[in-house]
Amino acid sequence: MTMNERKMIDLEQGWEFMQKGITKLKNILEGLPEPQFSSEDYMMLYTTIYNMCTQKPPHDYSQQLYDKYREAFEDYITSMVLPSLREKHDEFMLRELVKRWTNHKVMVRWLSRFFHYLDRYFIARRSLSPLNEVGLTCFRNLVYLELNGKVRDAVISLIDQEREGEQIDRALLKNILDIFVEIGMGQMDYYENDFEDAMLKDTAAYYSRKASNWILEDSCPDYMLKAEECLKREKERVSHYLHSSSEPKLLEKVQNELLSVYGNQLLEKEHSGCHALLRDDKVNDLSRMFRLFSKIPRGLEPVSSIFKQHVTGEGTALVKQAEDAASNKKAEKKDVVGLQEQVFVRKVIELHDKYLAYVSDCFQNHTLFHKALKEAFEIFCNKGVSGSSSAELLATFCDNILKKGGSEKLSDEAIEETLEKVVKVLAYISDKDLFAEFYRKKLARRLLFDKSANDDHERSILTKLKQQCGGQFTSKMEGMVSLFISSYGS
Amino acid sequence: MRKEDTVKLISAEGFEFVISKEAAMVSQTIRNMLTSPGSFAEAQHGEVTFPEISTTILEKICQYFHWSLQYASGKETEFPIEPELTLELMMAANYLHT
Repeated sequence: MTMNERKMIDLEQGWEFMQKGITKLKNILEGLPEPQFSSEDYMMLYTTIYNMCTQKPPHDYSQQLYDKYREAFEDYITSMVLPSLREKHDEFMLRELVKRWTNHKVMVRWLSRFFHYLDRYFIARRSLSPLNEVGLTCFRNLVYLELNGKVRDAVISLIDQEREGEQIDRALLKNILDIFVEIGMGQMDYYENDFEDAMLKDTAAYYSRKASNWILEDSCPDYMLKAEECLKREKERVSHYLHSSSEPKLLEKVQNELLSVYGNQLLEKEHSGCHALLRDDKVNDLSRMFRLFSKIPRGLEPVSSIFKQHVTGEGTALVKQAEDAASNKKAEKKDVVGLQEQVFVRKVIELHDKYLAYVSDCFQNHTLFHKALKEAFEIFCNKGVSGSSSAELLATFCDNILKKGGSEKLSDEAIEETLEKVVKVLAYISDKDLFAEFYRKKLARRLLFDKSANDDHERSILTKLKQQCGGQFTSKMEGMVSLFISSYGS
Repeated sequence: MRKEDTVKLISAEGFEFVISKEAAMVSQTIRNMLTSPGSFAEAQHGEVTFPEISTTILEKICQYFHWSLQYASGKETEFPIEPELTLELMMAANYLHT
């Protein structure tokens, strides 16, 4: 019975044997020429620990071995690891740290396997930390606590260098930041407190400096291009070496410094700001503006407000144009005056088309911009031209399209399209009832004097009006049309 | 069975038992040793000496490994243990973390 015959191992003796194994491990890690562990070595080391823990008290050395395990790490770290780290700086220090951390993890793995028997019963009995935690904690308390400030500064300095366009060793940074994460043993506290906070502060300061220069030197489109580029690069930075949890915080800082702080200045730049872009139809720049400003809180409100001002301005200019043209034609010929107003209505429709396209293309159909467009049109659509209300103008316009020999000569398709657009513009007119009155009168004349060019179009516009304004609006008109057309046809 | 899939367990008296790695790894201790990172010369050869475990016990243990694998795959059988062996077997089991 071999198990019972074994000799009592004295603590000193046993530890001397273990120490040999530990030294061998250290040599291997330091890269010294040392043969690898054989399975016999392994078993002997494991067995020694096992025996020392299962001997009868007072020779049960579990507590002492647990302490000596920790001491083994502390010795190694203070005698070899810390000195080698203290004598290096910047990037060299970072590389050394990565190497030492990797070594440390290997050492923990091996030693905790040798001492594994302690993990099985002793630590549970005394509610102590398991072996691998002890190992990592040693590194944390001795190395990390002392160096993390220096490390952080070195990393941030490298990041700023990369921002200025220099090439840096990204893998190195990834390894270093992994240490911050791993040292937390499941918690992100160390990464966040010892690195991320400072990194975010530095990022904000960096972009604040850049922005204050760019806002003075660059035009709005150029500034926006730079901003977009920066955001893209920072996002890439996260994927290359930062921890993914940093992404939203980082982007938020950059957006804040580049867009929120200087937002208004940017939009109101005299020759290249939002107004100018709208005036010059710079759709790409406007799309970019939308993309950027939609990311910051309340970012789109000023943009939509400028959009509304612009559209109102354009519309009001059309009204004025029509007024001027009308007042110039002092002739009493109603037709000629009417022509100017027809032109006005057509131009209003074109304006609507143009800016509706802006809302859907540049501004991705955002509700703020739909609202801005609507409000703008409501403002100038209700201004009359030379005495005629917009309701009347619109009705006259329809009349011209629908009657025979009307001033508008269009294909069937084009007519349909135009009627559709007229109905849309009608939505902005406040006194729709007035429109209904004028329309009905003109419809009656068309029907009575057989001047209606096309029955289908007549019906079609009524359907559209019904959809837009409800059945009440169109009931009389529909009645008239059915009366005349059905009876005439038969 | 291929050589790479086996390990050799050697008792105190020098008896050699060759069993599959899968069986041997029922023991946590053996598993740890075989899966230690990198630097194991003998991991390829797969020989482990147990100077403290007698041949009879080691034989019983190997039987246990195989029984354990069978039990895990669902075939329920009883594992016979002679009473004289019990104490030693338990100590060995503790040592091997089985």
